[in-house]
Amino acid sequence: MSEEIDITQLETSEIFELIQDDLYDGLADEVVASVKELLKRGLSPYEVLTKGLVAGMDVVGVDFRDGILFVPEVLMAAKAMKAGMEILRPLLAETGAPQIGTMVIGTVKGDIHDIGKNLVAMMMEGGGFNVINLGINVDADTFIKAIQEHKPDILGMSALLTTTMPYMGVVINTLKEQNLRDKVIVLVGGAPLNDAFAEEIGADSYCRDAAIAVETAKKLIAIKRGELAGD
Amino acid sequence: MSDSPNPGDDYCQIALMPSGRRGRVKRGTNLLKAAQELGVELESICGGRQTCLKCQVIVEDGYFPKHGITSAASHLSPLTTRELEFNQNQRLEGRRLACAAEVLGDLLITVPEESQARKQIIAKAASDRIMEINPAIRQVYVVVTPPELGDTRGDWERLADALREQWGISQPTIDIKALPTLQTALREGDFAVTVTLWQESEILRVQPGYREGAYGLAIDVGSTTVVAHLCDLRTGAVLATEASMNTQVRYGEDLMSRVSYATSEAQGLARLNRAVIQVINDLAERAAKTAGLALEDIVDVVIVANPVMHHILLGINPKELGGAPFALALDSALDLKAREIGISLHPSARLHILPLIAGHVGADNVAVQIAEAPHEQDEMTLIVDVGTNAEIVLGNRQQVLVASSPTGPAFEGAQITHGQRAAPGAVERVRIDPLTLEPKIRIIGYEDWIEPGMAKDLPADVRATGICGSGIIEAIAEMYLAGVINASGLFEEAAADKTWRVRYHGRTGEYVLVDSDLTATGAPIVVNQNDVRAIQLAKAALYAGTKLLMAHRKVERVDKVILAGAFGSYISPLHAMVLGLIPDCDLERVVAVGNAAGDGARFALLNRDLRLKAVELARWVQHISTPLESSFQDEFVAALNIPHARDPFPHLAAIIPQPVLQNQASRGHNRVRNRMRS
Repeated sequence: MSEEIDITQLETSEIFELIQDDLYDGLADEVVASVKELLKRGLSPYEVLTKGLVAGMDVVGVDFRDGILFVPEVLMAAKAMKAGMEILRPLLAETGAPQIGTMVIGTVKGDIHDIGKNLVAMMMEGGGFNVINLGINVDADTFIKAIQEHKPDILGMSALLTTTMPYMGVVINTLKEQNLRDKVIVLVGGAPLNDAFAEEIGADSYCRDAAIAVETAKKLIAIKRGELAGD
Repeated sequence: MSDSPNPGDDYCQIALMPSGRRGRVKRGTNLLKAAQELGVELESICGGRQTCLKCQVIVEDGYFPKHGITSAASHLSPLTTRELEFNQNQRLEGRRLACAAEVLGDLLITVPEESQARKQIIAKAASDRIMEINPAIRQVYVVVTPPELGDTRGDWERLADALREQWGISQPTIDIKALPTLQTALREGDFAVTVTLWQESEILRVQPGYREGAYGLAIDVGSTTVVAHLCDLRTGAVLATEASMNTQVRYGEDLMSRVSYATSEAQGLARLNRAVIQVINDLAERAAKTAGLALEDIVDVVIVANPVMHHILLGINPKELGGAPFALALDSALDLKAREIGISLHPSARLHILPLIAGHVGADNVAVQIAEAPHEQDEMTLIVDVGTNAEIVLGNRQQVLVASSPTGPAFEGAQITHGQRAAPGAVERVRIDPLTLEPKIRIIGYEDWIEPGMAKDLPADVRATGICGSGIIEAIAEMYLAGVINASGLFEEAAADKTWRVRYHGRTGEYVLVDSDLTATGAPIVVNQNDVRAIQLAKAALYAGTKLLMAHRKVERVDKVILAGAFGSYISPLHAMVLGLIPDCDLERVVAVGNAAGDGARFALLNRDLRLKAVELARWVQHISTPLESSFQDEFVAALNIPHARDPFPHLAAIIPQPVLQNQASRGHNRVRNRMRS
C-alpha cells in the first residue's frame, strides 16, 4: 500500500477525509501537512479543528469504545492530533474562536495509576479540549487550586483502587465547602467504579472509558450552556 | 401500571463462594439444583434424601455490596424436620442441607470445601531440593540431679544447670506454658527428660525420658490460596502438604477490596483475621492427621505472606497499604509464639515470620528468593511470580532488583468472559490448527486432548466449564499464531472467511473455542475481543515491569526465566513468550517452579541460617517502584502488542514474524493506511 498523495490536487472535502484517515493511522506529519494546506486555502482554524481533527478523533473514539482500536493506536492518533493542534492553537486564540472547553484532570491522592488517566487526557485534547493534567496522587487542595486558577468546565478524577476511590468524594465535598461544586462538571473513572458510586459521591457522571468521557463531557457542557434542553 | 408482571419477581440472585459463580434461579428452586445450575457441584451420596449430610452450605447474613445481594437465612425455606433433628445432635452446626432448602430470596452461599464435589487443585507437592537441615529447634536428652534436702534450687534451676553442664546451654529460659509441666515430666522420667530447645536458648517442651519427634509447619498465606507443608524438623522430610482456599475471599476477591473491607467495616479486620487464622488451624489439623501426628507435636511454624495478608494475620489494619506511599507497619522478621496470633499447636510452639521488602513486596517474595536464590547465580535470572499482583525479581550475585506489577486478576480467569479458576472442567491447554482454525483442548481432570465432535465418545461428566489462566494464555497465543487475531490484538476479518468459529457481534469479533456439546452449560465457550484486551493489559504490565528492571540493571537480555506461583507451573513457556508475557530467552531456560514461596517458607523452617539470610536479602535487594518510572507508560504501551511492538524475539524466529522497525518518516513515505471504513 504505497502511494504518494499530492494534497494540493485534492478537493477540500477530500482533505478533511484524509485528515480523518491519517489521524486514525497516527500519521502526524501527514495531519500537519493537511492542516497547513486547508489553512492556506483560507479555511478558518475553527473549521479545520472541528471538521478535521475533532471529527477524526470522534471516529477513533468510537472504534476504541468498540474494542477495534486499542491503547497504542489511540495514543498514536492522539499524538497526530496534538501535532495538528499545535499549528491551530495560536490561530484559534487570535481569531477568538469559540472554546470547546477546559478540563482539569488527575489521579486522586494515594493512587499512582497514571496511564488510564493520561489516555482520557489525550482523548479530551483530541476532542478539542484544553486539558490541565495534574498527574497522580493529587490531593483536594491541589485540585481546588487548579480549579480556581484555570476555571475549567470539567473536573476529571481517576482512581484504580477500591481503597483510593473514596477520596473522590472527599474532593467533591471540598468543592462544595469552597462553593465551587456548581462551577464544574465532575466526571469520574477507573476500573473499580460504577454509576452507583459516582452518584453516591455526588459526581455528575461515571465514564467507563476515554471515548465515553469525551462524549459525556461534550453533552454535559452543552446542557450547561443551555444548548440542549432536558436530561 | 404495566399489565405484564415483572419477570424479575420470579427469580432470585444467588452467588456461591468461594467459586464466585453467580446467577439467577427461579424462586422455589431446590438449592442443590440451583447450585448445579450455576455450575457448582455439591457432594451428595444420598442423592438429595437429607441423609448423607454431605451437601452442607453456609448462608451468609447481611448486605454484600460486591455482589449487590442482601442475603439472609430467611431467604431459604424453613428448616425441615430432618434438619432440626440433625441440629439437635450437633451434626449441622447451623449449616443448611442444600437438598432440603428452597430458594425464596437473594442469597450469598458459602460452600465449605468438604461439601464441594469437585475440590480445587492448587499446588503440586513440595519439590525436592538439596539443603542443609539446621532447624531452629532441636531436642536434647538431659539427666537432672534429683532434689534432696539441702539443695534449695528449684526443679527449673536444676534443669538449667544440667543443660549448662551437659549441653553447654549458657542462659536457658523456659516458655511460660512449658513451666507447669516441668515437675511432672521430671518425676515421670525419673529425672531424665527430653527437652525441646529453640535457638539453643528457650525450652518449649519437657518430655519424660527419651523422646524423638519435633515437627514444624511452613505456611504460605496467599490471598486466594493458603498452603501448608508439615515437616519433620530432624530429617527435613515433608510429611504432608495441604492447601485450602483463603476464606477471606468471601469478603473481597482481590487484596484491595479486602483492605477496603478492613477499613470500612467495623468488624472487618477482625473477621478477615479470624477467617485466615481459622484456615491455618484447619490446615494444621489436616496436615497433622495426614501425617498421623497430634497438633501438640508441632513446635515450630514459619509463615510467609504478601504485605496485606501479613498485616491482617497480625491484627494490623492494612489501611496504609491501600494507597500511596504504601507504608508498612513494620518490615522486620518476627519471632513470636504461634498462640499469640491464635494458632493452636503445641502451646509453646514458635512462630517465625519472614521480613518484608516494600508495600507491595512481602515475605512471600523474600521466600521465593530464598527458594530460587538469584543472589547466588552468575546468570542474569528473571523470576516472575504471577498472581493478581505479580512480583518480578531480576538479578544475579552482583545485584538483585524487585518490583511489583499490578497485572489485575485476568490471569486468574477473572474479567474473562468464560474465565474461571483452575479447577476440574477448566480449559487449561489449547491448540489451534493454523490451516483449518479448528481447536483442540485439554480440560483439567481429563487426560487426553479433546477435539470438536468428540462429545459422544467422552464420559458424560467430561465437559468444559470455563477457561482458566493457563488456558486463556494458550488460547490467545494460539489465536495469534493461527492468524485469528493480529499483533495488535484485533480479530482478523479474513479469519471469518475461513471458519465459522470466528464470528462478529456488530463490529467486534469472537472465536468459538469449545462447541456447545462439549460444555457443561450447553452454551459454547468463546474468547472475545474484550478477553484479548484484558490479557493484553495484564501481560503488558508484567512485561513493562520486567523491561524497567532490565533497564535499571543495564541488561538487554536474561539468561534464565523462572515462572513461580501455583499458576506459573501450568503456564506453557512457549505460549507465555509468544504472547509477550516474558522477554525473549532460550525456551529451554524457562522453567516453572510451582509454589516457590511455600518452598522458601519450608527452607526457612528447616534451616535457621536461611532466616538470617532472608533478613539480609530483604535489606540488600533493591526495590523499584515501576509506576513512578518515567518510561513506564512508554514500555507499557509498547508491550501491549503481541508479542511486542519493537522488541525482537529471536528464539521465536521460526514461528512468529519479527517486528519490522518503522520510524515515522518511513511510515510517511509509504502512507500506510489501515482505517477500515464502517
